[in-house]
Amino acid sequence: MKDRSPALLMAPALAWLTAFMVVPCLLILALAFFRRGIYGGIEYTFTLENLGLVFDPLYAGIFLKSAWIAGLAALIAVVLGYAAAFAIAAAPARRQPALLFFAVLPFWSNYLVRTYAWIVLLNREGLLTGIARWFGYDGELPKLLYTEPAVVVGLVYNYLPFVILACYAPLSRLNVEIGEASRDLGASGWTTFRRVTVPMTFHGIATGFVFVFVLSIGNFVTPALLGGGQFQMIGNLVYAQFLTANDWPFGAALSMVLIAIMMGLLTLQTFASEKASGSGRHD
Amino acid sequence: MIETLLSLKGIAKSYGSVRAVSDLNLDIRQNEFFALLGASGSGKTTVLRMLAGFETPTEGQILLQGRDIVPLPPNRRPVNLMFQSYALFPHMTVSQNLAYGLEMERLSRAEVKSRVDEMLEIVQLSHLSRRKPDQLSGGQRQRVALGRALVKRPRLLLLDEPLGALDKKLRGEMQMELKRIQSEFGITFIVVTHDQEEALVMADRIAILKDGGLLQCGTPHEIYEHPGSRYAADFIGEMNFLSGRVRAGELVTEDGTRIAAPVPADVMPGDTVDIAIRPERMKIGTTNLENMVKGQVVATAYLGLDLQVHVQTALAAKPLLVRMTAQEVDTAQLVEGDDVTIGWTAQDTRVFRA
Ligand SMILES: Nc1ncnc2c1ncn2[C@@H]1O[C@H](COP(=O)(O)OP(=O)(O)O)[C@@H](O)[C@H]1O
Ligand SMILES: [Mg+2]
Repeated sequence: MKDRSPALLMAPALAWLTAFMVVPCLLILALAFFRRGIYGGIEYTFTLENLGLVFDPLYAGIFLKSAWIAGLAALIAVVLGYAAAFAIAAAPARRQPALLFFAVLPFWSNYLVRTYAWIVLLNREGLLTGIARWFGYDGELPKLLYTEPAVVVGLVYNYLPFVILACYAPLSRLNVEIGEASRDLGASGWTTFRRVTVPMTFHGIATGFVFVFVLSIGNFVTPALLGGGQFQMIGNLVYAQFLTANDWPFGAALSMVLIAIMMGLLTLQTFASEKASGSGRHD
Repeated sequence: MIETLLSLKGIAKSYGSVRAVSDLNLDIRQNEFFALLGASGSGKTTVLRMLAGFETPTEGQILLQGRDIVPLPPNRRPVNLMFQSYALFPHMTVSQNLAYGLEMERLSRAEVKSRVDEMLEIVQLSHLSRRKPDQLSGGQRQRVALGRALVKRPRLLLLDEPLGALDKKLRGEMQMELKRIQSEFGITFIVVTHDQEEALVMADRIAILKDGGLLQCGTPHEIYEHPGSRYAADFIGEMNFLSGRVRAGELVTEDGTRIAAPVPADVMPGDTVDIAIRPERMKIGTTNLENMVKGQVVATAYLGLDLQVHVQTALAAKPLLVRMTAQEVDTAQLVEGDDVTIGWTAQDTRVFRA
């Protein structure tokens, strides 16, 4: 007979999630199918207009822009994070916990504080300018703060520890003899990295990428603080619909599409890693 | 003249203060099936890893056909290693595992395929070529690892405990299989094992390692019949040991019994010695041998092919082990408590300085 205790153990958590996460979310999302009232309220007549508006070139453009920024941030975070995780996993075993601790340390501070720190760094008379002055450069630095790269940098910085953790797990479990076997069969160090190390740790790379992407595409704090007032990503748009434009139905429609994109990616990633672990469970 | 393929010249390897291998000199011949035999921790894996290029010797040279290969990285050595853990690529199928080494040689796709298919036949894995390593049994994985190294046609194949993970019956079959493949391919094999029986069965020559040093090197027959030390005598096969000393030109045991045996030149009068006799060289019920002692049967163990008889004598505190063939058993009809006489020749007795 099948053991039912896992289901029983999960029941309280599932009930909690359903009652306080899933149901409220569904209630909000349901608003997408109603008309906006004249004075900002909700008129309960069914419509698909809100969802249709999401695909209006103006808003679709913001979606694409957000995806571009999130994709760029995820890519950079994965490259930097994988390199860092690789270096940590290659360090002497007794030093690894400390290195990992320091790599993840910024994660424990407040998100807002971390982002404000970047404002201090990138400001027109901020730390970077100060450093340039100290080296004797007294021209104008290009505008750093309130630019698209500043947003990408902020996102990469905030989510980098996550990628390091995601990549460190499979890298540290890698059997060194498999890399040696590759060398023994005639592969160079680089070929071994490309054909053995990366495929065997792809699960971590995919997890890191998808998480940074998903967290970035819906982010509204970093674009607001580092991108300045005029810079909009989906998160800012949703924020505005609910809090300033008072158009809850359109905000709900935007959220619905955003959540669909996130869920799609996470599902894809889960399937991909299940497939990968199916062939990588043994050493 | 037999050509030497590989020469180890004064090889040593230290890890900090741990001396894993010290002053090792060995010549390995073309097409030889060579076994490195030693207890766990004796330095066998370290030697193989130096040959494959994963460790740099602290001292000495490794000459492959006269050329020092120590400076070459692993991927530039015409040597392949079959890892003790097999180290198969888990994300590749059996075929892809076999093809990997050939792709590194930049062979054409057609050539890679034909050589992989040929090797799949040889290691009998054609029907499993699309499986991944975790869908295979231990014996099948072992054959993938062997095939992956062999398909490269190296001049020298190194095998680290290749049969260690297999059960006893499969191990016996694979011992024969390895020997067949080795002679068919004409590749020199160096096999590491801690199993003396396996070394005796498979190897043309055996080197016994102890604490990172070479104890003895020779054919299985030489090593079995003429062990160079008490350690080697004890390590290989079964052996009865008696302690004795040389007194007035004669060899006597602790209880004063004279033993007829060839005494090696380095044994001086007054020296204490270990006297060793193989169980199968001892006879029960014969009368005209140079060494004869009385004793009592304390236990018998029937092993099918032969019978082990434990006989308590005055020569040693431990009962002596006598091995009788099935025919001898039929005529003797021994039971526990029987009084017997054990005999053996001087020529079958080995003496080591203690
Ligand atoms: N990387 C290493 N660092 C320190 N000591 C090692 C290392 N590799 C092996 N040794 C030591 O060298 C000795 C020989 O080991 P090894 O060659 O693995 O023996 P075997 O294969 O015969 O069991 C052992 O004492 C082992 O602890
Ligand atoms: Mg070993």
